[in-house]
This record gives sequence, C-alpha cells and structure tokens, in this order.
Amino acid sequence: MNLHRVRRLAWVLVASQIRASGRGAHPKKATNQPAVYGWAALVLAGVAFAVAAVSVRGTGGSGSVLPSVVKAALPFLPLVGVGTVLVAGLMFELTTTAKFASSDAANWLPLRPQEYVLASAIAVAYTYSAPLALVLGAIAGVAVDVGLGGAAAVAAALSVLGLLQGALWVEMVRAVGQRAGGGSARRGRISVLLRALAFVVLVVVLELAFNPVVLLDSLSALQAFGHLTELLPPFWGSYAVLVLLQGNAVAAGLFAAGTIGFSLLLLYSANLLRQHFWSVAAPEYHFGPYRYGDPHPALRALGLSIPERALVAKDLHGFGRRREMMPMLLLPVVLLIVIFLEGSIGGGGIEGVGLMIYAGWAATFAGLLIATTSLGQERRSLWHLYAAPISAREIFRAKIVAALIPAGSVSAAVALFVGFLFRAGALDALGLGLAAAAASFAVSAWGLGFAARYSDYQERPRPQPMRPGAMLVAVVVGSAVALSILVPATLGLVDGGAVAAIGLVAAIAFTVAFGATGWLWARAGFVRLMREIPF
Amino acid sequence: MWPGDSVLGRNVGKLPTGPTPGMASEGGAVLSVDQVSKSYGTTRALSDVRFSVGPGEIVGLLGPNGAGKSTAMKLIVGLLRPDAGEIRLRGRNVVTDGVEAKRTVGYVPESPALYEFLTAAEYLDFISDLYGVDPATRGSRISEFLRGLELSGHEDSLISAYSQGMKQKVALIAALLHHPRLLVLDEPLNALDPRAARVVKDLLRDLASRDGVGVLFSTHVLEIAEAICDRVVILSHGRIVAQGTIAELRRQAGLAGSGLEAIFLALTGTGDLTDVVGALRR
Ligand SMILES: Nc1ncnc2c1ncn2[C@@H]1O[C@H](COP(=O)(O)OP(=O)(O)OP(=O)(O)O)[C@@H](O)[C@H]1O
Ligand SMILES: [Mg+2]
Repeated sequence: MNLHRVRRLAWVLVASQIRASGRGAHPKKATNQPAVYGWAALVLAGVAFAVAAVSVRGTGGSGSVLPSVVKAALPFLPLVGVGTVLVAGLMFELTTTAKFASSDAANWLPLRPQEYVLASAIAVAYTYSAPLALVLGAIAGVAVDVGLGGAAAVAAALSVLGLLQGALWVEMVRAVGQRAGGGSARRGRISVLLRALAFVVLVVVLELAFNPVVLLDSLSALQAFGHLTELLPPFWGSYAVLVLLQGNAVAAGLFAAGTIGFSLLLLYSANLLRQHFWSVAAPEYHFGPYRYGDPHPALRALGLSIPERALVAKDLHGFGRRREMMPMLLLPVVLLIVIFLEGSIGGGGIEGVGLMIYAGWAATFAGLLIATTSLGQERRSLWHLYAAPISAREIFRAKIVAALIPAGSVSAAVALFVGFLFRAGALDALGLGLAAAAASFAVSAWGLGFAARYSDYQERPRPQPMRPGAMLVAVVVGSAVALSILVPATLGLVDGGAVAAIGLVAAIAFTVAFGATGWLWARAGFVRLMREIPF
Repeated sequence: MWPGDSVLGRNVGKLPTGPTPGMASEGGAVLSVDQVSKSYGTTRALSDVRFSVGPGEIVGLLGPNGAGKSTAMKLIVGLLRPDAGEIRLRGRNVVTDGVEAKRTVGYVPESPALYEFLTAAEYLDFISDLYGVDPATRGSRISEFLRGLELSGHEDSLISAYSQGMKQKVALIAALLHHPRLLVLDEPLNALDPRAARVVKDLLRDLASRDGVGVLFSTHVLEIAEAICDRVVILSHGRIVAQGTIAELRRQAGLAGSGLEAIFLALTGTGDLTDVVGALRR
C-alpha cells in the first residue's frame, strides 16, 4: 500500500465534491480547497475550547462536579466519532450518484483496491469531522481545567480513529449496496421497495444506536452488565478511555491497541467486500414492455395539461428510481419512527401535544425537501425545460403538484401513525392530517421559491441540489411556516371549546397568508429563472 | 435489422419522415438570426451574428473550439437570451413568443444530459407529451425510429445503462418525433458508429429535400460538412468570418480547387500549423 497515493486520492475525492464540474468553480478560491473542512474543524474546536475554558473558569473551576462530568463524558468521544460519520455517511454517502459511485478513476488508474478503500474512507471521515471537532474542543476545554488534559488527548486520538471506523462501516455498506443495485435486480419495483426498506431500517437502527440519549442509557446499562461488552471491539476505544480514567494504564494500552487492530480488520473486510461486490458498469434494470401514449389519466383529474402531467409523472418516477431521492421521502418517516421508538424505550421521548406538533412538522419536512430540491435534482437535464414548448407557468404548476402529491401522502401517513400512537380518536388524527397537509402546501410554495433562486445544478459525487447556506435558511423558514400553522391547529384540536375556534381560525389565516405569499414569491422566481438557463 | 438495407441508397427507407401539417404556409426562412450578440459575464461569445436557414436547407455551423457554435444554438432554441439582436423561427420571435416558436424546433445539445432514471421508451413518451405528439400514433413512430437506429430491445432499459452513442441516438430520436420544421443539432454525429452516422446523414438529407425541414448543425468533421451541407457558416471568436456555399467560400478564400479543410484553416487564421506540430513532436 502506497500511502502517498492514498493521500493524493483522498484529496481528489474531497475536491471532486466541492468543485463541481461547472465553469463556475474557481480552483484557486479558498472555499474550493479540500483544506476548508480541516480549517473549519480546527476553528470550531478552537472556539469551543476557548468558550468552554473561559466559562468554566468563570464558574469557579475545580472542586465542583466538573471532574466527574468530564470523566463521564470522555469515554463517549470515540463513539461520537463513529456515530457522526455513520449517521452522516449513511444519509449522504450512500446516495452518491451511480456514475460517481462506481468511481471510474479507480477502475483505470494503477491503484490497489485497498488504497482506494482507505482513501475513500479517509475522505468521508474528513468531510464529516466538524461535529466531532466541536464536541472535542468543548470537552477538552473543561478537561484541561480540571487536570484531565492527558486523558482528553487520548480520547481525542481514539475518537479520530472512531471517525475512520465509521467511514469504513460506510464503505462496507456501500460495497454491498453496489451489488444490491446491480445485476441481480431484474424486477425493478421490488428492488426499489427493498432498498427503501433497508434504508429506513438501517438509518433507524443507527440513529438509535448512536443517539446521545439512548447512548447514555445503554452505556450505563453497559456498566451495569459489567464485562460483557468489553468483548465487543467497537466499544474498545471507549473502554480504553474508561480504564485510563480509572488509573489502569496497561489495560488502557491494550484496549487502544485493540482499537487499532480492529480498525485494520475493518479496512481488510471493507477491501474484501469491495473486491467481491465490485461492479464497474452501471446497473442495468430492465422494465416490462411499455405502452406508449397513455398521458397519465390519474393526473388528469387535477386539471393538468398533458405536458404538465408528463412533468409530474417524470418527477414522481424519479423518487422511486433515484437513489439520491430516497432520503427526501423517507427522512420524515425515519424521524417519526425514531421519536416513537425512543418514546417507548423510555429514553426521554416527547409526549402529548408536543409529539403531535413534532409529528406534523416531520410530515411537512417531506414537502419542504421535495420542493427545495425539485429544480436542483434536474441537474444538467434542466435544458429540457427550456427547449420544450412549455411556459414558466406550466413548469411551476407541474413542480408544485409533484411536490404536493408525495407531501400529501406523507401527511396522510402521519395522521394514521399518530392515530395509532395515541389510539386517539379518528377526529384528532384526521385534524392533524389536514393541518399537516395545509402546512405542507404553504411550506412547499416557500420551498419552490428557494429552489427557483438557489438551486445547484452541478453534477457532484454527492448530490447537492441546493447551495448549503440557502438550504439551511430554507429549512428554518419552512419550519417556521409549518409551526405557525401546526401549533394553533394542534392546540385547538387538543383543547376543544373556545381554544379550538381560535386555533382553527389562526391556522387557516396563517395557511392562507403564508401560502399566498410563498406562492407569489415562488412564481416570481420561476419567471425569472425561466428567462435563461443558469449554466 | 434494416429491411432491404435501403439505408445504403439515397432513400432512408423505413425511417418515418412523412408529410407534416402546416408545411404549406412556408414563406421565408425557417430560422433568421439577426445581429445577435451574447456575452457570458465579461466573455464575449457572439458578436453581431447574422445568418438564416431556409426551408429544406442544410447549413453547417463550423468554427474552432470556443468559437461560439454551441452558444448560437442555445440562443436559437431558447436556452439563452440574446443581449442584442433578434432570432425568429418561422417568423416567431424566440424571446417574446417562445412557446409557439419552440414547437417547431428539434434540438440535440452537445453531450446531451437526458433523464437517465427513465427508460428510453418512457423518455421518448415523455418528450412526445411535452411536444404534443399524437398519442395514438406515437408508439409506432417511436418503434420505427428505435429499429432504424438499432436500439430495439434496449428501449425498456434505463438510459443510465446506455453507452454514449446510444444516448446520442435517443436524443436524436427525441428531436425528430414531433415533425420539427427546423433541426438544431450540436455535433449530432459524435459517438455514433459509422452505420448510424450514415443513417442520420441520409435521414437529414431526406428530411430536407422531401419535407422541407431546415437543418442547422455543427461539426468538426469537415468531410461531413462538405458532403451534406448546402451552405456553411464559419464562426471564429464569436464572429462570422465567412458564409456561403463551398464554391463561394473557395472563391472568397482565394483557394481555387481546394477542400473545405484548407479553406477553414485559412479563414480561421489557423493556417500555419508547422510550428505547432513541430513543437508537439519534440
Ligand atoms: N456557461 C458559460 N459560462 C461562461 N462562459 C461560457 C459558457 N458557455 C460558453 N462559454 C464561453 O463562450 C465561448 C463560446 O463557447 P461555445 O461553447 O459556444 O463554443 P463552441 O464553438 O461550441 O466550441 P466547441 O467546438 O468546443 O464545442 C467560449 O469562450 C466559452 O468559454
Ligand atoms: Mg460546442
């Protein structure tokens, strides 16, 4: 294995994400350098460290409960490393476009598979290093103050190793997924369903396994169970820190060595899996014989013209067929299941009204994600919308319907789910479903407004349909719009009486107000966008 | 396969061309580009470009890399807006009357990005919906095209699994389905195998001579331009340096009896290549 080659390749992999293929990317610009992630992590760690150190000094420092807090927190750090990369990696890395996932370059460059696997894992770990850096900085700031700097340094080193372990897990899942999408899948629809199911299960399990709340529970359970979990290699990093804090340096050394060994084993296995499941070609799905000239009668009921129906149907097809679209629809479902499971596990879920509002918000999230990405997901194919004889108005209508159909389905699912959860009356469930649908409508309009202005059409390894900053703002705005409708509606539903009337009126008023303004804003954006192709 | 291999003759045989509604109304040019300029930021891509394509005429758009050929085509089909000047398709302004103007155009971009998550059949049906192709007859029309370009049997596979040439063929079919009056083809023969290239060339000639379709296409293969173009327009640095029939250009360049390559090199100022070649050999 040539480590220099690995480093160069990792650099290229990170760069290929941040510099898209377009003419707009200036390779010299600082924000287009792979080093930005490193700098961001360092700055975050530094700021967190300073803030923590200063605020601890202000509260009087040692002698307090702080040492025991630090002692409790440090063993978590290696798991935080694994957890962030796993969750982020599964959310974003598994959806890489098929074209990039088969990593052309790796096929013809003189690279060994293990070099590619390691470089890819390093690139992933590096990309998601910022959250860990933040936590690390904060805890270290306190640890130094209470005289646990050494242990903090060890924990930091082990948690960086944890990042890499998480990335290697992702590599393994990715390698297997390659085959799952490959030659064996003759029946398109079933494999799509299976993939969606696997995705939900995977993300839910990992969300739960590495969720801080649940983690706290299970770690105390770990300690209660005593030495059982010491046999599980993924926890060795944490144990190394734990025994070090107890003063057993030899055991700590053994656990640390074990962690390194386990990381190597992961690398070895990832490499084996990659070689075994390697498929150079894009998967070839074959679908049943096609019937031409059936202009989507189901959509006709919505009063859409034939070109509009065609556009809607095309987008809906994409949800089933495109790996990178899957999270849009499934994320709300995941959010709901996680909160439900956590509630029933007793890890501190949300109850009552809070849960209903949360559920409604999760439901509108589908509409928001779909709407904000509805233009960016066209990527370079966007030219079709300009060359075809269709007006900006028709495209706008098609896009909003294409967002509302799946968003509406998710709202209905939420209503059912909440009804089931509370064993509540049909009326409550129906009311929440309606409120979520109304909120979805307003939120989708706003999402489309953002899409028309801030979409990103570049081909990247990891799809990024909207500029990250704009996406963040869109989520905040969308959530605010959703809550302004959901909160009064839910309060009204639960309280009944006079509150119900006020809540209902407020919810309707906000729906109309935000729906109309969002609609107008989005339409103006579409008209401007359709003047000229943005690339 | 191709029945009777008629493709090798002048007649493109079974590929659907056929009469088109509305053809009789033809008076002037199918395409007129008048004093058009376009900049990308500070990069001037086109300056005062003026040319036209008449019905049944095949016009080749030639020029070195970066000359502005693709930009001109994007302006014509409405992907971009001219900074100055006017583009008319059968008399309709592309900017102010876009939807109606675009109905009559078929466009194949350079390296076309298709919807790769659709099968070719779904994609072509989608395009037919957008352009209002008669639902009753489109199936047989699409099938004939697929057969003619040897894509039969692949139409129910996702386009993502297609080779580059196969994608190019799908894009070409998509541009032809709605009986366009003007074809705007940006390097359409790229990546096509010799047989398919021949089919397309014959088809273009056939569409032009039989149905009066105007064709504007760009290419770097000057033999192709020489073989099928009625006229050529040569762009260099965003300006038209010459246009006319090959005979006219020959006269203009003062190169009697020479081929298009010599004319091209002379007109675009890339004539003296010995230095470059010498440097590359070192
Ligand atoms: N989206 C864009 N942004 C900025 N500049 C562009 C863009 N598209 C084209 N250009 C520039 O405009 C000029 C003309 O480009 P164009 O693509 O039209 O050339 P072309 O004649 O098609 O070249 P080729 O033969 O290589 O296809 C070039 O200088 C190019 O760099
Ligand atoms: Mg070009």
